[in-house]
Amino acid sequence: MPTFALGDLLLEVEQFLVDATLEVFASMIPLDIAPEPAGCDAPAVEPDISSLIGLAGDLKGVLAVHCPASVALGVTSAMCGGMEVTAMDEDVKDALGEIANMVAGGLKISLAGQDKKIELSIATTCIGKSIRTGGLAGATRAAVVFATPAGRFRLELRYILA
Amino acid sequence: MAKNVLLVDDSSTMRKIISRSLRQAGLDFGEIYEAGDGLEALALLESESVDIVLSDINMPNMNGIEFLREKANRPAIKDIPVFMISTETGDDIIGEAKSLGAIGALKKPFTPEKVNEVLGPLI
Repeated sequence: MPTFALGDLLLEVEQFLVDATLEVFASMIPLDIAPEPAGCDAPAVEPDISSLIGLAGDLKGVLAVHCPASVALGVTSAMCGGMEVTAMDEDVKDALGEIANMVAGGLKISLAGQDKKIELSIATTCIGKSIRTGGLAGATRAAVVFATPAGRFRLELRYILA
Repeated sequence: MAKNVLLVDDSSTMRKIISRSLRQAGLDFGEIYEAGDGLEALALLESESVDIVLSDINMPNMNGIEFLREKANRPAIKDIPVFMISTETGDDIIGEAKSLGAIGALKKPFTPEKVNEVLGPLI
């Protein structure tokens, strides 16, 4: 199970997001993904769908998965055993929400190992262009971009340590 | 005799994945029923012949802990075993689930091999 140390913060958090996401895909989503180096020059991910999980407790914030439609459809198809997925429907929203939920769950377990307790909201998934998270004054932003055969997606954690 | 399984998860995608994992693990099971939350699960348990329940914890309407608590109060279904499959596998929440009758827990994400290892002896 991926873990990270709060004392090391941003780089460790980003590495945790990489490890947790790779674990989710290796276990349950038969699709090749690879993290892109931090700060690379690749163009930004422009999402068509975003899934958000609220975090409360010793670490407050939002974990978000942002995907263009091509990636969301490909990931959903892979999660559903190769089922043809051609429309941005409830199945796609559900699949993206589960990915966010599993990464956030890994974060909760990792923090519990450091005597930090957090609670997770149920995932909220929105279909729309270029949704961004905000409203957390002073929050730290950790973000990782992953490449897949269908395109790139971004995982983002905005957080404040209590 | 093959056992009938009830999958309880608000995610239809996750229900598909668990169902597929059970097949990939080569487990011999009968019918697979599905419920989207604890309320639906209670209704299904009252109407269908279910041998084991695989339940998420974090769900809307009635979560997995509330489901276990309510099920324990219904004599006709209280002895049907429940196994938790969730991202919520901290000691506190699983301890509470076990105190309410859950027989074990499996963390998401999981592999078919892990499903076989953990659920094989039960199914």
